[in-house]
Amino acid sequence: MKRKFSSAVLAALMALCLVLGTASFAVAESAAIPSELPRNETLYFAGQQWGSVVGWSIFMDSANNAMAIAEAASRRIPVNETLYMYNLLDGKVIPLLADGDYQWNDDQTEITVKINPAAHFSDGTPVKATDVAYTYDTHIKYQTANGVNFPEYIAEVSALDEYTVVFKAALNDSGAAKNPLEVVNQLLQIYIWPQSYIEKLEERNNYDAAAFKLDTAEDFIASGPYAGGFYADDQKVILARDDNYWGVAIFGSLPAPKYLAHNIYPDNPAGQVALAAGEVDVCQQFIADVQLLWEEQDLPISTYIDEPPYGICVSTPSAFYNFNNPILANNVAIRKAIALAVDYDQINANAMTYQSPTFVQSPRSLMIPTDGEQAMYDHEAVKDLQWIGNDIEGANKLLDEAGIVDTNGDGIRDIDGKNLSFNAVCPNGWTDWMASMEIVAAAGKGIGIEITTLFPEWSEVQNVFTDGTQTSYDIFMYAGDGAGPTYPWQRVRQRMSSEFIGRTGNWSGNWGQYSNPRADEIIQLIPSVTDPDELKALYTEAVEIYLTDVPSFALMYRPQLFYTVNESVWTGYPEQGDGYNIPPTDLTDGYGIAGLYHLELVNP
Amino acid sequence: MKTTFRQIFRQANFVIGFSIITLILLVITIYPLFNPGSPLQMIGQGTFFKPGTYVNIYDSLDTSKVYTLRLDDAAANRIGKKLLPADRETMRAWLIAFGLPEESVQIEYTDDLLQLWWNSYDENVRPQGMTSAARKAAARVDAKLAGLYNMESLTITQPDETTGEPAQKMTVSETDYVNVSDIANVRVLPLGTDNFGRDTLKELLAATATSLKIGLLAGCIATLVGLALGLFAGYVGGIVDDIIMFFANLFTVIPGFVLLILISYSIGQESRGATTVAVVIGFTSWVWTTRSVRAQVLSLRNRDHVNLSKLSGHSLIRILVTDILPYIASYVVMALILQICSGILSEAQLSMLGLGPKTTEVPTLGLMMFWGMQYTAHLNGAWWAYFPVIVMIALISFSLNLMNTGLDQVFNPQLRS
Repeated sequence: MKRKFSSAVLAALMALCLVLGTASFAVAESAAIPSELPRNETLYFAGQQWGSVVGWSIFMDSANNAMAIAEAASRRIPVNETLYMYNLLDGKVIPLLADGDYQWNDDQTEITVKINPAAHFSDGTPVKATDVAYTYDTHIKYQTANGVNFPEYIAEVSALDEYTVVFKAALNDSGAAKNPLEVVNQLLQIYIWPQSYIEKLEERNNYDAAAFKLDTAEDFIASGPYAGGFYADDQKVILARDDNYWGVAIFGSLPAPKYLAHNIYPDNPAGQVALAAGEVDVCQQFIADVQLLWEEQDLPISTYIDEPPYGICVSTPSAFYNFNNPILANNVAIRKAIALAVDYDQINANAMTYQSPTFVQSPRSLMIPTDGEQAMYDHEAVKDLQWIGNDIEGANKLLDEAGIVDTNGDGIRDIDGKNLSFNAVCPNGWTDWMASMEIVAAAGKGIGIEITTLFPEWSEVQNVFTDGTQTSYDIFMYAGDGAGPTYPWQRVRQRMSSEFIGRTGNWSGNWGQYSNPRADEIIQLIPSVTDPDELKALYTEAVEIYLTDVPSFALMYRPQLFYTVNESVWTGYPEQGDGYNIPPTDLTDGYGIAGLYHLELVNP
Repeated sequence: MKTTFRQIFRQANFVIGFSIITLILLVITIYPLFNPGSPLQMIGQGTFFKPGTYVNIYDSLDTSKVYTLRLDDAAANRIGKKLLPADRETMRAWLIAFGLPEESVQIEYTDDLLQLWWNSYDENVRPQGMTSAARKAAARVDAKLAGLYNMESLTITQPDETTGEPAQKMTVSETDYVNVSDIANVRVLPLGTDNFGRDTLKELLAATATSLKIGLLAGCIATLVGLALGLFAGYVGGIVDDIIMFFANLFTVIPGFVLLILISYSIGQESRGATTVAVVIGFTSWVWTTRSVRAQVLSLRNRDHVNLSKLSGHSLIRILVTDILPYIASYVVMALILQICSGILSEAQLSMLGLGPKTTEVPTLGLMMFWGMQYTAHLNGAWWAYFPVIVMIALISFSLNLMNTGLDQVFNPQLRS
């Protein structure tokens, strides 16, 4: 009898363990979401969410929640909303929670923002100026990843009245705003949450910063169109539409899909197969030879533009020279020669499969190939400095003239009897980057410089190249830029500002440790210059310095987000020339979200 | 010895396997003589050019010999190549969405269809209920059809050397032909190009050579280590046997491939050349050779001739080499063949995971598969980038295994007929 009892207890315990074990798979769910989503009410994504969602709090350091919280120059706004949204097509800043444009005061030390009185959170409470001020204060109080930098730009955020917020810029010694561009940028970067909910979050974590930032906030309240409920496990993430969404007041209707769903795929090919099968509607992945999907396989798939480069390229992955290597630091001829010799057309053709404008179409500068940025420098003035690439003869001439020759006859040029030998590094598995580095290495062969590729894991690369004292990588690849209201200034700073020299854990810029006093001056000057001609002159000078000193060189232009859509279920996606001026930011980022309001069913 | 060889070469299995591997060796030796240059040279700008003959357009225009052929089906062929059945369907879909009655759109009659198309199509019109993909497909068809009926001669111009003005160089009429043998640059790419624009066949043969070398080196190392340890463990016995078998058992329970992955990862890519990878593979796959050699030696150690040798005071090494090794030599050769085969497979597996030899130096079969996968050749229908590699790996492993079976039938007393 006793034995029977104990075995019953054992069985019960095992059953309990089983139940607990199953429950420990991170399943989070906020509202009733049907177990089977109706296909014609759901928009499926791929390529944004990798791995399970960690949390839903905008204050978390790493929520790994790509559909709701994503760091980008154009913020992702289906769930949480910002005051303004960015349109990378024309560089315009468009009000979202805000009502009308922001206003600088005459001294350019304060920005006033009106809140849209129609705006309310998913629980129905209106968005007030105090919510905005409290959200900003919370970021600073708990030193979140966003908040640590605020004091550099913003001194205070306060509610003037119920619907008016004032942002006071941090001032320098002469009483001018330290960085007006960054103040504006914060209006587009910070998600707004209700003060009452944040206070609840603080209280339940006993005002402890570490606990507060780890709270997953699954009961969050936000103002976005898809803050109506969610489901997340290790297979998928689903967002439900808030049918009471306030944005009807500005967009004219609710967004078409009732659910946004993102299956979590193990890798790119899996997502690509799902896209081809019509299981995915919007795909944010690099697809090699994407045109084959419609040209060869006749699938109803298209990209923003129907011909190369198929998308809007706003990022410039570049090869950085490490100035901690004295040979690279002291010999501009070597830096320029390698850059001249690289066959960029081969990179475009083989690494990017033509998904990048060429350097003939958009000559190299510090700008991306959008009309707005291209107009910001004087093309004629820097014409003689720009290069197309694959210029082995020119590169050899440059090195010969600089007296860098092969003295010992082994085919490799040398300096002080030491052969020129460098490594070229990018993370393993980043296919198009790896192929680019192979092509850079091939360029070295033609000009008597030994370059070998090295593909360590990303976890290692990210620690080495962000360390300002590293000497392990000679030439390494990184992008880190995009399009936003602080660009192209931000890019100039990223490529040349000496403020980042020697820093460890440096994600901000100048990873090659380049220094030029005049470049620093220009970077200081640009944010407070408003006169367009003066601005253009400064940018042109920055481009001149960049192309003369070659601290790094762009290898390709690349979209910040890839955007390939399948029209099996939904149609009406943003496309070039459709007259709506909606950027191809996957219907989730910045003004790209407006695309959700134009979607229609193929078979209603 | 002669009899043994005769016996071996009478085995059909062995002969087939031997012929295949010899053929492969011959091809990888001879082909580079006819097609010299680096197999890693990126000749094609673009990914995965399909297999076929590539004729230089520039040279074909420059040829002094132009032939005129009046072929009846030339125009039809030209139209057929441009206006595929799928294009006709695309045209029909657009015309119906545009508002034409369904019965008026006949896609079988090329002339009628084209007339209807050219009369109706306007790229600025967005027919109701048509997806953007379908509209874009129609625009592409329209672009393709432009000038389809225009049989006027083409005029080739070249900037004048002195003035720089375009001057007429030649005209090409639709009945002009050139003989391929007259053209200076014609390149046959029997297996097209890979994602880097490299000649796949040339790369495949160079990769086979490298993989065979890796397999041979790995196999030799594994066999030598396994043989030495097996001989000592089996013959010496006692504590030596215990220690060796302890390690052998230890390595048996750790999956060899996991060990291989861990070691390759920790070596780091910079120092991971083809030789290093071969050595790593060799040193992680000696275990089963040790175990089986030991078992064989155990049955030999108490034979009379061994005891006699021992009584005569011969050294340990001499006994092992002259009294034991010859009896297991045939077995060792067979083990070597299998080890070579598994060495090649291991390299391919490692490279597929991105843990193979570094990519800049030499092509290997595994690296070809790796890059093919990275650039989704299997999803894009670029079979030439990965299928020949699979066939080559299969052929090598098939031929080696066949040779092994043949040898087995000669040397294994239980199978001997």
